[in-house]
Amino acid sequence: MPLINMPEFAGPLLDDFAARGAQRIDTPVIQPAAPFLDMAGEDLRRRIFLTESETGESLCLRPEFTIPVCLRHIETVTGTPRRYCYLGEVFRQRRDGDNEFYQAGIEDLGETDIAAADARAVTDALQILANLLPGRRLSVRLGDQGVFEAVVRALGLPGGWQKRLIQSFGNTAHLKHLLQRLASPQTVAGLSAETAALVRKDEAALIDHIDRTMQDTGYSTNASRSPREIAARLKEKLALAETRLDGTALLLLSEFLSLELPLAEAPAALAGFGDAAGLSLTLALKGFEQRVNALADLGMDLSGITYRAAFGRPLDYYTGLVFEVTRAGDDAVLAGGGRFDRLLTLLGAREDIPAVGFSLWLDRIEQARAR
Amino acid sequence: MTVTIALPSKGRMKDEAAAIFERAGLPIVAVGSDRSYRGRVEGADDIEIAFLSASEIARELGAGSVDFGVTGEDLIREGLADADAKVEIVAPLGFGRADVVVAVPEIWLDVDSMADLGDVASDFRSRHGRRLQIATKYWRLTQQHFSSQHGIQLYRIVESLGATEGAPAAGQADIIVDITSTGSTLKANHLKILSDGVILKSQACLVRARKPSHHENPRVAAIVKAVRAAL
Repeated sequence: MPLINMPEFAGPLLDDFAARGAQRIDTPVIQPAAPFLDMAGEDLRRRIFLTESETGESLCLRPEFTIPVCLRHIETVTGTPRRYCYLGEVFRQRRDGDNEFYQAGIEDLGETDIAAADARAVTDALQILANLLPGRRLSVRLGDQGVFEAVVRALGLPGGWQKRLIQSFGNTAHLKHLLQRLASPQTVAGLSAETAALVRKDEAALIDHIDRTMQDTGYSTNASRSPREIAARLKEKLALAETRLDGTALLLLSEFLSLELPLAEAPAALAGFGDAAGLSLTLALKGFEQRVNALADLGMDLSGITYRAAFGRPLDYYTGLVFEVTRAGDDAVLAGGGRFDRLLTLLGAREDIPAVGFSLWLDRIEQARAR
Repeated sequence: MTVTIALPSKGRMKDEAAAIFERAGLPIVAVGSDRSYRGRVEGADDIEIAFLSASEIARELGAGSVDFGVTGEDLIREGLADADAKVEIVAPLGFGRADVVVAVPEIWLDVDSMADLGDVASDFRSRHGRRLQIATKYWRLTQQHFSSQHGIQLYRIVESLGATEGAPAAGQADIIVDITSTGSTLKANHLKILSDGVILKSQACLVRARKPSHHENPRVAAIVKAVRAAL
């Protein structure tokens, strides 16, 4: 039987949110589907409940709260910083677990002190869980997209390869596949001799050639990619094919991705890694250390937090911190969160709005309370 | 117990399927007129033939309301979630060959593989203000190929129920996933198949719905054996 009634701890939870200065926001259960599919990709389609309005608009049952809360914020133009909280039902097609369940959480929009806002999100999540699950030991796993990006940049790979690696951060299988490709030479297939010659010699002539072909084939009117874009990427591709990550760099990257240690030791370990590898990671590490210090300032016990270098989410709007909380020794994620500085502009906000937040899986918390 | 076999209701698929069953010693006759949608097998009263459209056959097999069916593997894999758990492909029949492929505009000189497409998709939004769009009627196959096999997440599917090859030139989508047998329609529309863009090499197959009752039914085993022997 799915948990279709409000969990009995909803009242105290909302009080807890309010005490943390968060303002409750509610969003309709029926949402336009496009923003979710645009942000998370088509793969989500199988996992949400889709329907269509009479006029053909694609609608879905709210699969999560972050996107609706952000859309609501953009719509109401209320200025920043804002601290929102939510509690309500979400709907997903899941293999394990019910298709409808409750989630609650906090989204911090527009707070410019990044380290402090990050630390506050982790602290809030942990303290709220500790209140709901008194006496249970909790453990936090923390990752950082920014540190991974800094390592990839410092390795001196061409831009295209950096982009590929950064895109796949958090998708372990795909990242491994990319590293294998980087280690072995690539050939560029499918180029006619004529084009190959043009690419090497004369970019203007290449663009002209593409442009003429587009006109001749009646494709140019609606072409999404311009002759210039195609020519530029063709050049980049040839350069990428010639790039090979040397053995040392590949080892360094693998070594970095295997790092897993208590958060308190992570700043020193990362600095040591950078020094030994001869990589300049100063800026990213500064932010990382500031966040660790901010957590300590908030009185957090850092020994329950583990930093794992390979932990990330392969979605292009996550930019920095990611974290999840479980009961010690258990896999079920009770709270998950992270920083998504790119989401609001992707959803149509006029200016950059830094954002961090987390959501609580109330069905799993309910189960954990019973045990 | 009666065994129901669903066969294509018209066209070459119908004729080719009938020819194979004939060779297998299971000659099919229509009940009533030639245009009837029911049939039987000469000399085998425990077999019923239902003439259905190819995509309905896939659906009925998935639901287990027919025992066997002849339909394209593409329709099975697209139409059924977890197809291998629901049906068994007994034998490819050697006709109705067509590939489900990823095709991009020929003039995308820089795109030859799925990896190239992944690169293009990854910054498509920042360049063009929207995700890369794929016109197709094969939602499931597209998702499996792009997301699971090639780690490409950032695209949108635009539903296309016909003349899919025209979508890129018409501006409805950037690329397509569609079925092709000779490639000539793609060529005429200035599209090219990616080097690793063949999602499925499809052909008509004899397909069995996985039902527990089949284990002790000698007729089921006999049909499988006869059709395999006729190929």
